Amino acid sequence: MHRWKRSLALPVTLVAIALGFLISLQAQTQKNVSAAEKISAQRMTQMKSVLSNSQAQNTKLHEEQRVLSGKLDEARKRVGTDPQLLDQLKQLQMLEGTQAVEGSGIQIGIDDRNKKVLFPLSTDDIARLINTLKFAGAEAISINGQRIVSSTAVVLSGSSVILVNQVPINRAEGVSYELDAIGNQDTLLDYFSKLEAPILKQNGLTVSITKKVLRIPAYKGTYTFKQAKPVVTP
Amino acid sequence: MKLDTRERSLLGLASILVGFLFIVLLRAQGVAGSQGARQDTAVPSLIQTEQENQQLSTDNEKTQLELSKYAQGQSASTLANQQLQEAQMNAGLIEVTGPGLQITLDDSKSVDKGVDANNLIHEQYIRAIFNALWNGGAEAIAVNGQRVTTNTEVFCAGSYIQINGTRQMPPYVIEAIGETSNLSSALNFYVWYQLADLQKQYGITRKLEVLDKVTAPAGKLRDYHYAVPVKEGT
Repeated sequence: MHRWKRSLALPVTLVAIALGFLISLQAQTQKNVSAAEKISAQRMTQMKSVLSNSQAQNTKLHEEQRVLSGKLDEARKRVGTDPQLLDQLKQLQMLEGTQAVEGSGIQIGIDDRNKKVLFPLSTDDIARLINTLKFAGAEAISINGQRIVSSTAVVLSGSSVILVNQVPINRAEGVSYELDAIGNQDTLLDYFSKLEAPILKQNGLTVSITKKVLRIPAYKGTYTFKQAKPVVTP
Repeated sequence: MKLDTRERSLLGLASILVGFLFIVLLRAQGVAGSQGARQDTAVPSLIQTEQENQQLSTDNEKTQLELSKYAQGQSASTLANQQLQEAQMNAGLIEVTGPGLQITLDDSKSVDKGVDANNLIHEQYIRAIFNALWNGGAEAIAVNGQRVTTNTEVFCAGSYIQINGTRQMPPYVIEAIGETSNLSSALNFYVWYQLADLQKQYGITRKLEVLDKVTAPAGKLRDYHYAVPVKEGT
């Protein structure tokens, strides 16, 4: 075994000190991280329990609604409510958006999270897209599961969270925006791909349009009339 | 290069140490990155479920009330008519009146007019105003005698703006019924000052009046060819 060189002593010591320092730093970080992990796991479980609670309530309410609407149908049949009147009611509810609908239409996926995108989709953009779909005669529209009704407002909360019907619609995974529209598939496709898709693509967004049979959920909010009174025609 | 056993073992030890540090670092990084995303998706879905729950429970209450009325032997047709009335009100098919705002927008009077010029009132201004008004809790909105319903488009088609399938020319008179202070502050928050800039620079005109009584005419029911109501409980 050869003897240590004197000249090596200083660098080796320095390296050893640096390494020791790094290791202790790492240990410290590790401790912090595991603490953070614990807190966020705690938060997640709390969140999950709240969520599963409300989901359980949701299924219960759905079940209740099913039973009740069955009873209602029976009661209506028994007392003989005019079926034409009921049809009219359904149609009105489709217009106000409190009735979930299904039918053929187009599904538009827009992704604004790739590197080419300078400006992500804004609330004005979303309002314009919805407007174009209405112009193309869409019978029902939803964005990320939120039904579009007359009183739908698309606004920003903070600097990046988009609220539609007062609900945040931002998604962390998958396609960022999914617009569903029921109506004449050819017209919808034609109008959207000519009027909107080119602008979006030019801005670097990824756009996909597919013809599909869709189901669009009901509007979950409520209408209130405190100031507006019906005009009574004499 | 030849290394003796001692050097080799030292080198091996060092590599193991570095590898270990590296893995620990990666783990710490991964934890910090993934945590945010899961919580991001949980919050919107929680709000959505909660909202749905609220709606479902009010729906169920209503159905129960209806059932009890049937049980008491109330006339079926009166009940159905009541519901029909309510749905028509929600859908905007009934002329309503109440306190509200009247906004008048007009093109600049200057001679130099082009399609994209800033001295014209564009569709997006009208849409932005609607958006702000709905956000401020408007109960009914009309523009140039056209009630804004779920299907109302505001689409620029050259020299005119198409609204509810009709041609509308400036001036655009927007009437909104609701809590006037809320409506004005929402309007000020979102669009009113931007329009003020346009007024200064390009001479468009804008006027805001708070009135005790504005009237929004009845909207029209539309035909549905593609969308059908989803049966309950499927």
